Amino acid sequence: MLRFDRRLLQNVDWPLVAAAFFIVGLSVLSLWSLAPVRGGGALAWRQLSWVGVGVVALLVVVSVDYRNLVRAAPALYAVGVALLLTVFVLGRTVSGARRWIHLGPFSFQPSELFKLIFVLTLAWAITSWRAPAPSRGAVLGMLALMGVPFLLVVRQPDLGTALVLVPVAAAIFVGAGVRMRVLGTLALAGLSALPLSWFVLKPYQRDRLLVYLDPFRDPLGTAYNVIQAKIAIGSGQLLGKGPSGATQSRLAFLPERHTDFIFAVFAEMWGFIGCLVLIVAYSLLVLRGFEIAASTRDPRGRLLALGVTAVFAAQTLINLGMVTGLLPIVGIPLPLMSYGGSSMVVSLMGLGLLLSIRMRQFH
Amino acid sequence: MDVMSPRPDRRDAWRRRVLALTAVAMTGFVGLLGQLWYLQALEGGRLQEMSERNRIRVRPVAAPRGILFDRSGLPLVDNRPAFTLSLIPREMEDRDTVLARVSVLLKIPLSELQEALERVPPDSIRPQRVRRGLSLEEVTKLEERKLELPGVIVEVEPQRVYPTSTFAAHVLGYVREVSDDQMKQGRYRRGDMIGQSGLERVLDEYLRGRDGGERIEVDALGRPVQVMRREEPNPGAQVITTVDRRIQEVAERAMAGHAGAVVVMDPRSGDVLAMTSSPAFPLDRFAGTLERDEWLRLVRDPMTPLMNRALQSQYAPGSIFKVVVAAAGLQDGSLTPMDRAYCNGQFHMGGWTFKDWKAGGHGHVDLRSALVQSCNVFFYQAGLKVGPEAILRYARAFGLGALTGADLGGERPGLIPVLPPARPRPARGWQAGDTVNISIGQGRLLVTPLQVARMMSAVANGGVLWKPRLVQRVERADGSLAYSSSSKMAGQVDLSPAVWAFLRHALTGVVNEGGTGAAARIPGILVAGKTGTAQSIAKSDASKGQDHAWFASFAPADDPQVVVVVLVERGGKGGQVAAPIARQVYQAIFLERVAMVVLDGDS
Repeated sequence: MLRFDRRLLQNVDWPLVAAAFFIVGLSVLSLWSLAPVRGGGALAWRQLSWVGVGVVALLVVVSVDYRNLVRAAPALYAVGVALLLTVFVLGRTVSGARRWIHLGPFSFQPSELFKLIFVLTLAWAITSWRAPAPSRGAVLGMLALMGVPFLLVVRQPDLGTALVLVPVAAAIFVGAGVRMRVLGTLALAGLSALPLSWFVLKPYQRDRLLVYLDPFRDPLGTAYNVIQAKIAIGSGQLLGKGPSGATQSRLAFLPERHTDFIFAVFAEMWGFIGCLVLIVAYSLLVLRGFEIAASTRDPRGRLLALGVTAVFAAQTLINLGMVTGLLPIVGIPLPLMSYGGSSMVVSLMGLGLLLSIRMRQFH
Repeated sequence: MDVMSPRPDRRDAWRRRVLALTAVAMTGFVGLLGQLWYLQALEGGRLQEMSERNRIRVRPVAAPRGILFDRSGLPLVDNRPAFTLSLIPREMEDRDTVLARVSVLLKIPLSELQEALERVPPDSIRPQRVRRGLSLEEVTKLEERKLELPGVIVEVEPQRVYPTSTFAAHVLGYVREVSDDQMKQGRYRRGDMIGQSGLERVLDEYLRGRDGGERIEVDALGRPVQVMRREEPNPGAQVITTVDRRIQEVAERAMAGHAGAVVVMDPRSGDVLAMTSSPAFPLDRFAGTLERDEWLRLVRDPMTPLMNRALQSQYAPGSIFKVVVAAAGLQDGSLTPMDRAYCNGQFHMGGWTFKDWKAGGHGHVDLRSALVQSCNVFFYQAGLKVGPEAILRYARAFGLGALTGADLGGERPGLIPVLPPARPRPARGWQAGDTVNISIGQGRLLVTPLQVARMMSAVANGGVLWKPRLVQRVERADGSLAYSSSSKMAGQVDLSPAVWAFLRHALTGVVNEGGTGAAARIPGILVAGKTGTAQSIAKSDASKGQDHAWFASFAPADDPQVVVVVLVERGGKGGQVAAPIARQVYQAIFLERVAMVVLDGDS
């Protein structure tokens, strides 16, 4: 499968790689600094091993021509939907949601992987239409294509992932040049359907969603996470408290602190200056991604690059918005930072796609 | 057109659109930085202060368990506040030291404390209950050293109290902390107290109620600063049983020192007025922290105190079964009250000799006197006349060998054998000797005391077979009805009124005309009953002669209001052991009438 061209190596986007692995490094460091709260060290080691797996996955993705991946999109789509369905059959329920498939000691979250398949499928569909811009009918067709997995993800329920898919699809449509009027109509339709969907859901589904929306999954703790995260971030002030002084995180007032709320841990330890550096790194990542998209001639490549970058950007912004109290809470990991195998491996695979497109830009 | 190599103006359009998207994303990042600046620079000082005194505790407020009442509204159990030692894993920064201190202070093995914490995540803010039922002295010790014991709190929970340690133990059942196995059902939270046997278990959903909780902010010393949120507990529903507390107490007292069971039933409704099983187990020991050794001792006790003998133990009915044989014969016409026989104490058949319990025999007997004297020889012959098919059919009609459907779980069905088919040729499985055996209630017959009580109720009320009722209704805390049950018939025994009258008359004779049940005779109350002595199935010589003693009875014979069935395991003869116990129960029930007779006699 690997016909690796040495010339490709000359076009590696080093700033992108540097930004990404800088963030990965901070992730392991943050988990490590949680060590005094039992289990932190083990978390860091496990995260490191996931990074290892992710790097291998990245290298595999890089060595494959992304055009073949786009061509294989229908097959990948079928596999992805099948995996999402498998969750309902084999998945184990964890805090009211079925998201994981368990393979021996490992568990794996198909909805994470599906983000990339989603982008590949849209890129494949748009370029297959061979029109300068997708027509209204084509857009509707694509929405139908995406609707099935989207509903499956919602049903798990994994609202966070589902929520990321919406701006990603929007970004790809904008990039593909879908007329603003069509997009506007779609947005209006989507917004007006939102309250309706509440009534369509069965009571137990509503309960699940409410439980899901309630991050502490505890009748007493509705606003708890937001308050605690704000206190953690704010008490970091300008310079941070350092790893040993981060009482909020270390005394574990902060729930989900190693996964979705890891940014709060980081913010408490390193203060505004640290946050600035981290956000610059993320911005750099996103900027490079969009730059790759902008400079690629191959429509498949550039749509793919745009979509993958949009996944990074949307996920980062929604997660940070939620942790800093700007957005309501939904469960979304911070890419490359949160603890978790599926998220880390899939993020690095996304990075691999960007690098792969960059390397083959001028062929 | 060629999509693969876009024209320059298209490429520019593409670049513009990507640039627009980039601008959107960057706006987002800038906005985030703004929010961070607000939180960390502008609000930083205030939030820093908040983080200093940020100690939040979640305190579950246990719902009081529903109370069980007797039929006249007297409580059978109650709740009282009890102290529980709880540990909050998240607040114990130096866990080993704190645990060691608690261990020394309260003399709890360190391993027990560590074990309790291993089951919960180390950063849980939910208090983990470690030991229930602390004494006031122990609570004082903990409070005095509060500062050295971060994460150690004393919770106040309602806990079951019982009139006496073993009162109605098998009916009520015990309440105990949810076990690891039960946790797997997913319905309970760790530390929940749930009903594990008896009514507490059957009605657990109603009784448990829903725990409330509060989230409080505490200062560095663990003093509550403010209640951030509170959810009131939802108390459990109240249960009105059919049990009569006074009769239950008397029955238990009368059984003291014996192994066995007493069932008191109202033959007019099937209400169970009392049900005891002896030996009983100490209910109150389960509410606190039961030592492992003590639990094993209860489970392994050869006297099986945890078993409810009234419906979980199966015994041969012995001579009580003669009532069924007589009913079957009279109704089918194979026996008449005029049938007579001469009893010389032995009955020979096919080379076998069946003995009467009375050496030398009873002399001339008829059906009634055979019941009164419990003459075996008469019934050997009667049984052969009636035939096994009719006997077993009537036994089933009286509800023997079948579940009664009582509101308590774990009932055993007993056994009434099924005859092998008579064709194509007489089967080897059933022989005349078997018929002779079951005629006096021995052989392959097994019944429970509750089944016998139901049968006696049918004799007393003229054929109605009740489904025993233990629960009248369940009322929620707000007064609404969660469950109610009325008396339910499980079947009907069809005998002619003359046969019922004969049976009642004969059973009255058992007690009042010098029969085997004379020990249950009470002046002023006409008690009717039948004694029984069931051969125990033990095979060793040592347990020989230790037969189970039965006495099944009702009173007053002319207007039956209560049925009392007594079984004493390895007690010997029914008339000598079981009947006096029934007598004590009757005396208590009809206390006023007995007193009047005694006064009349004095004057």
